[in-house]
Amino acid sequence: MRKQEFLARLRKALAGSPQDDIEERLLFYSEMIDDQMEEGLSEEEAVLAVGTVEEIAAAPAAETPPIKTAKEGSKPKRRRNAGKIVLLILGSPLWLPLGVAAFALLLSLYLVLWAVLVSLWAAFVSLAAGSVYGMLACVPFLAGGSADRGLTMLAAGLVCAGLSIFAFYGCRAATRGVLLLTRKAAKWVKNRFIRKEEAK
Amino acid sequence: MDAQLKRGLLDICVLAAIKGEDSYGYRIIKDLRPYIELSESTLYTILKRLETAGMLTVRTTEHGGRLRKYYHITGEGLKRIEDFKLEWKELLSIYRFVTKKEEDNA
Repeated sequence: MRKQEFLARLRKALAGSPQDDIEERLLFYSEMIDDQMEEGLSEEEAVLAVGTVEEIAAAPAAETPPIKTAKEGSKPKRRRNAGKIVLLILGSPLWLPLGVAAFALLLSLYLVLWAVLVSLWAAFVSLAAGSVYGMLACVPFLAGGSADRGLTMLAAGLVCAGLSIFAFYGCRAATRGVLLLTRKAAKWVKNRFIRKEEAK
Repeated sequence: MDAQLKRGLLDICVLAAIKGEDSYGYRIIKDLRPYIELSESTLYTILKRLETAGMLTVRTTEHGGRLRKYYHITGEGLKRIEDFKLEWKELLSIYRFVTKKEEDNA
């Protein structure tokens, strides 16, 4: 293949890319072919040495520098931002109360989660207290000779102690779950805000 | 070789090839040939990336009745090479640690 034919094919293969990019690329490969010919290769050999048109056309898509894509990606966003702001202001009577309501709803759901946790821990504390009381209260009964009452108290205390151990693990797991959820939610909110700032 | 690692290495190689004096596309490939095989399309992408990152600048000069682009390393590019040398030292000490572990286990 001759150089001109190669460049024409390459131009066709690159169609759709920005014009500057195409011209720059064609210049680069044209220079490469000329330099190889200067080294003593024939025109055909030099064209072959540069690589196939398909190979060259495929290269940029796979390795476009990340900085460039980020810039290209943020441009249309910037243009849309002005329209977005106008819409935001005009729509504020609608979205503001809805947003506040949604926020209040989410906040109340979150508070309910904590309320459940508090009641779970309260149950644990009462079980623990019951076990201590049962074990202590059995002593005067046993000492007073009423073994049946004393043993009942002791049994109740032991049952409470057993249940409180289970309750402790349950409460701990539930608290950890809620904390994890809080952390994830906070992270999500933070990421959304950071992304928004970058777009500006 | 790991693609990411190779990409980084190729960047350094191209920077090193223009470190001493300004060079042009074909000569960069020729100078690197004994060490690393670099295709024309890969070189184009690397040069573009380094230019965007401010590690090299391009000037066009006339050569034998046609134009040729010369690439010139910037301070940023030189710094990248220096950083690479330090990174490589760290990598070498890790390599020594890894191979020493293997020898100990053998």
